Amino acid sequence: MVHYLILCRSLTYAQRTARILERGGIAGTVMRTPGRIAKDGCGYCVRVGERRLADALVLLRREGLPPKQVFVQSAAGEYSEAAL
Amino acid sequence: MIYLDNAATTLQKPPSVPRATAFAMTHLASPGRGGYPASAEAAQVMFQLREEAASLFGVPNPEQVILTGNATHGLNIAIHTLVRPGDPVLISGYEHNAVTRPLRAAGARIFVARSPLFHQDAAVEAFAEALHNPVAAVVCTMVSNVFGFILPIDRIAALCREKGVPLIVDASQGAGALPVDLTGWGASFVAMPGHKGLYGPQGTGLLLCGGEPAPLLYGGTGSLSRQQEMPDFLPDRLEAGTHNVCGAAGLLEGIRFIRRKTPERILRHEMHLTRRLAKALQNLPGVSVYQGANMAGVLSITAEHMDPETLGQRLTGQGIAVRAGLHCAPLAHQTAGTLETGTVRFSFSAFNRPEEADAAASAVGRILHTCAGRHAG
Repeated sequence: MVHYLILCRSLTYAQRTARILERGGIAGTVMRTPGRIAKDGCGYCVRVGERRLADALVLLRREGLPPKQVFVQSAAGEYSEAAL
Repeated sequence: MIYLDNAATTLQKPPSVPRATAFAMTHLASPGRGGYPASAEAAQVMFQLREEAASLFGVPNPEQVILTGNATHGLNIAIHTLVRPGDPVLISGYEHNAVTRPLRAAGARIFVARSPLFHQDAAVEAFAEALHNPVAAVVCTMVSNVFGFILPIDRIAALCREKGVPLIVDASQGAGALPVDLTGWGASFVAMPGHKGLYGPQGTGLLLCGGEPAPLLYGGTGSLSRQQEMPDFLPDRLEAGTHNVCGAAGLLEGIRFIRRKTPERILRHEMHLTRRLAKALQNLPGVSVYQGANMAGVLSITAEHMDPETLGQRLTGQGIAVRAGLHCAPLAHQTAGTLETGTVRFSFSAFNRPEEADAAASAVGRILHTCAGRHAG
């Protein structure tokens, strides 16, 4: 199953991101950013389902919290950056 | 014991506060340091605390709510951010050493907007007059910790906005009973303790950030770990090191208690008790009661034939806990003319009852009566 990881600059921003998504009816899970894509060291991200990314991005932009990066996690566990 | 030293620390807490604190001690780990449940749940507590506080205190975003060790810690961050050596800084005549000592350490030139006790209009006039000269910042308490005088912070904030002067509010005696509105005031910073009117544990405080703060402590934040500078975003910029999660869990419950009960009701209750005690004490011979309009739940007195420390000690002997002396606020005593003697301070919380105010007044009466008998003899 494919997921999107919305990278956030801190745990609190990830929590806020997840809260905004939750209020918009989108399930998002706060998790530590996988080491392979966390360029700055420790970080947090919000994982959302494949079909919800577009809605999630609209919501986050509306709330003034655009993500800094989004990665696609393939079913095989590979990561690639998504163009926003 | 009848506890009337709530301006120092509220001792009676909602039961949910010690319960949450004890639970956190054995169930919550470090927030932002791991992906396992005990860390994630700790992070959830921290976030809920920021959200609840942001809603209560007019803060736009939860990350602008910083967990500190106490109000003094927050005031030090705020002053360290805004004040450079030689900067002129304007303060009220009722500030605590938590404001004046950091200002002194920062090398500020301190100007005092002096005004008499319990006169809000005079306080506004004093600030308006003083703000004709440029200042780097204004620091003002919401409520005098000695006399309970409610300063007109809305109007002082309006003056600061008009002049474009950064405002630091010391909400130590106001938070939980009076409206706090970071956005409405346009304040740069609002500092408050968690252990007084928010009914949290000692060792907690909040700093609400309207401006760009400079860190006071440097260290690990669980974010941007490769970078050797502190993150430039909140709350990480100001929260180096492991959080006081147990304290935060208790403080979260304290704030939930405030929101359920509402600050308006708590203030009304405390004002009622203050007036009741003042009325009883003012009839005692030789007692000066410092009272007026615009008072919160704090009352100071002096007695003609007994110094405050002795009276405070004798009240302790009668099972009544109060605070005597200068209350770490020599400037407030200087303003009120009580610097040489200090005062005895009674302060209330949501948990005090009218009969406790009556008992305190009776005890003062008994102590002074015995003393007067000795004087007469």
